[in-house]
Amino acid sequence: MKHKIKLEIDTAPIKSILNQNKKQIKLGLSMCAHCALCAESCFLYISNDRDPEYMPAYKFINTIGRLYKKKGKVSKEALEKMGELVFDKCVLCTRCYCPFGIDIPSLITLGRRICRSQGVFREYDK
Amino acid sequence: MIKAKLKPLDEILGYIEPYEKILILGCGGCVSVCLAGGQKEVRLLQSELASKLDQKKEVKQISGYTVERQCNQQYMKELDEIAQNVDCMLSMACGAGIQLLAERHHKHPVFPAVNTVAIGVDLDVGIYEERCRACGECVLAYTAGICPVTRCAKGLFNGPCGGTSGDRCEVSPDVMCAWHEIYVRLKAQNRLEDILKFQPPMEWKNQVKRTIVQAGYAHRYFKK
Repeated sequence: MKHKIKLEIDTAPIKSILNQNKKQIKLGLSMCAHCALCAESCFLYISNDRDPEYMPAYKFINTIGRLYKKKGKVSKEALEKMGELVFDKCVLCTRCYCPFGIDIPSLITLGRRICRSQGVFREYDK
Repeated sequence: MIKAKLKPLDEILGYIEPYEKILILGCGGCVSVCLAGGQKEVRLLQSELASKLDQKKEVKQISGYTVERQCNQQYMKELDEIAQNVDCMLSMACGAGIQLLAERHHKHPVFPAVNTVAIGVDLDVGIYEERCRACGECVLAYTAGICPVTRCAKGLFNGPCGGTSGDRCEVSPDVMCAWHEIYVRLKAQNRLEDILKFQPPMEWKNQVKRTIVQAGYAHRYFKK
């Protein structure tokens, strides 16, 4: 599913995106109470038998959240797995609701930006 | 979804001729799905332009970047810094995305790299067919789900015209008459009376910039 151009991960652009958006990522991660209310607002979660991987919180915690905690040092395989979460399991409809006001779509967008910076993106002709 | 097609390379080269630093900007929305302007197509255009310029012995700095959606300001912020270092931008988004980009970066020349063709359906990978022109006056309820604006050569709301010949259109024997198809389907559904319901002419809303506000959101944007 994913485009594989670069053989290794180039951490410089990842770190740059993480640093530019540090406050937002940190705030999002610390505010998430794992209440799972966002799940009910995600049509993909509902239409995929409530698979937990479709929960908006799961998607941002396991992509941009993990990248932030690991300071961008992730393997290519890990980044490709993140690519599946942000591209295949989210359509960025921006309808996800967080009672604490976490801007989940923009955090998922950051995950997509990092994936794109490493040549990981969705291919529609495969 | 919106369907687009890459412009001829020579046309694109003509746009960027006076500039040195060019940014090709892809969109992760509809144009990615129709394989016209996503990240992959940005890479392809980048290398095709580089090769053409190489043949002409011209040197330009061509970079590529893809945002999630060019039709939404929210996804354009990340571009602000990148745009400062380029002379012009080549957008691979649909017409709406290109215009929003040009509006946000009004000091930069913004050129289209694709032609926005239609709102269409996917026949297979890489092949699409027009189904809607977003006229804003949908009559599909009376036309058995066949759009006369898109499929009739004259875009007639009330048809067929005198040019129909059997099941073919007068413009070409290869073109089916949309109103014949409408007739056949309505007849099969036993509701031929719908073809006789007069549809008033379109108000040519395409001539003005239409704004869509969904029911339930009007109070946010309009004072009572």
